[in-house]
Amino acid sequence: MKVGVRNIGHVAIVDLAGKITIGEGDVVLREKVNELFDAGQQHVLLNLEKVSYMDSAGIGELVACYKRAKEKGGSVKLLNPSGKVFDLLQLTKLEEVFETYKDEKEALVSF
Amino acid sequence: MASPTTLKLVVSSDVRLVDLIHNAAEKVAQLAGFDADDALNIGLAVREGAINAIIHGNGSNKKLEVNVTLSANGDGFSAHITDEGEGFDPQGAPDPTQGKGLLKTSGRGLLLMRAFVDEVVYSRRGARGMEVTMTKKKTDNRDD
Repeated sequence: MKVGVRNIGHVAIVDLAGKITIGEGDVVLREKVNELFDAGQQHVLLNLEKVSYMDSAGIGELVACYKRAKEKGGSVKLLNPSGKVFDLLQLTKLEEVFETYKDEKEALVSF
Repeated sequence: MASPTTLKLVVSSDVRLVDLIHNAAEKVAQLAGFDADDALNIGLAVREGAINAIIHGNGSNKKLEVNVTLSANGDGFSAHITDEGEGFDPQGAPDPTQGKGLLKTSGRGLLLMRAFVDEVVYSRRGARGMEVTMTKKKTDNRDD
């Protein structure tokens, strides 16, 4: 999985591309988000537009990111989950946990 | 009707091999006549079964093997996965879609498996190990 970060105001947008799966994408996601939190970032927007799918480990890592942000008084929100990723968020009912946006500007002003 | 075919894989308990199992399951599902979206779902279900076998079954002990048999047949697709571990309770995790379960960072594998295939049956294999069989019928072969 590929990952990039754009800092806009007090929000870090993490652009993810590929699949968030066990031993690969989940590790990349964990390391990048931990790096941001360790650097003092509190608000993270995960851009899932180019994520093709996740497995249970990837879904678990999303939840772990959410919990770590809460512990630090921050937040993790989701941008543009693709068809399969959106289906998985519905199936696992994590759409009830995560604030999810289709528009980046709208997402940014929500923090 | 797709002509029957079978693929057998024997892998060590290494999660780096899960992609290979997933891709193989997706290919066999396509050979069974499923479209790309259904084949991906089937691949994800088999992936979760393999992860359970490697991590919860064999405890990621690379000396222990996971056997995977993938079949395309007249009815659709089936997968049979066995491990050599101490055994585990696949139903043991709390419901990951309710209450505190929502914020668990693991325990969603069985949920995904059940969502993406028609039937998931776990059972113990004699003295050691677990086996799981997953089946997905072609829509035009379903009874309902």
